Amino acid sequence: MKNSAIKKKQHKQSTQRPVFSKVLQKSGLSFWAMAPLLLGVIGLVGLFQVLVTPKMLASLFRGNSLLDTLIGTLIGSIAAGNPIVSYLIGGELLGQGISLYAVSAFILSWVTLGFIQLPAEVEVFGGHFTLYRNILSFIFTMLIAALTTLTLQVLS
Amino acid sequence: MKKQPDKPFAFRGKYLFLVVLILYGVLFFVSSQSAQLAMRKSGGILLKILPVFVVVILFTALLNYFLQPRQIAKHLGRESGCKGWLWALAAGVISHGPMYAWYPLLEDLRKHGMRDGLIVVFFASRTIKIPLLPMMIDYFGLIFTLVLSFYILIGALIQGWVFEVMEQRSR
Repeated sequence: MKNSAIKKKQHKQSTQRPVFSKVLQKSGLSFWAMAPLLLGVIGLVGLFQVLVTPKMLASLFRGNSLLDTLIGTLIGSIAAGNPIVSYLIGGELLGQGISLYAVSAFILSWVTLGFIQLPAEVEVFGGHFTLYRNILSFIFTMLIAALTTLTLQVLS
Repeated sequence: MKKQPDKPFAFRGKYLFLVVLILYGVLFFVSSQSAQLAMRKSGGILLKILPVFVVVILFTALLNYFLQPRQIAKHLGRESGCKGWLWALAAGVISHGPMYAWYPLLEDLRKHGMRDGLIVVFFASRTIKIPLLPMMIDYFGLIFTLVLSFYILIGALIQGWVFEVMEQRSR
């Protein structure tokens, strides 16, 4: 009799929802634990924005579509900052005669790839996940850039 | 499902933070102006993404409050099916701010059973930024934006699928 009452109590406790303030506190605490990691990445982004100017990035393109697509992907993955900046640089690059393949790859990799956040990604998701995801993202950035440009050529 | 014991509190990324501090220190000696500017830029970024951090903390708490781990697994885990893929795709498109701001939430969901392929889809679909679409149209044209967005969505799903195949093969 006593045993079944204890079992009932335990079952009730296990199905009961925790108090929201406790859950919020736990969520805040786990975020706080990640603060050095996130601050490290933000600090790196700030450093990058000061030391590497858009002009320096634009000067790396060579004028060869295939090579520029690869360069665009690489530069986009090294660069950091608001995606608006990638549109601004991309617009300038198009104006300078850089191919749409390269510019598409550049604005795509700006968001999906990030060398600066790699240490944080490895810490959170593990090396295996980070390696596979970034390799896939790198390949697909170039594929999507090529497909987009080819489709536009067909449509026009 | 057996409840996992809570891990003791420990800061993560201490070494990365230390390396960044050292870099700032070196830059301060080389060019104090650049170091100050970089610090101001970093401060600006932090202020800008603070609201995203608040959303992430609140969202994680709400998910943990309303959903049991097995429910999360049902919607985003192995048995989630097409619904899971579409959720990840939509979440990636809607999500705002830099990628790393979403790491804590995704880590939490992953612990509760979210499959890795869906995380890949989430990251890949983040290239579409709804608030920035008008600007993209203005710079590159409507057709370019539509075609690129279409390939991004298809590409995100394929990446997630390929990732899972690669993961299964490496086991």
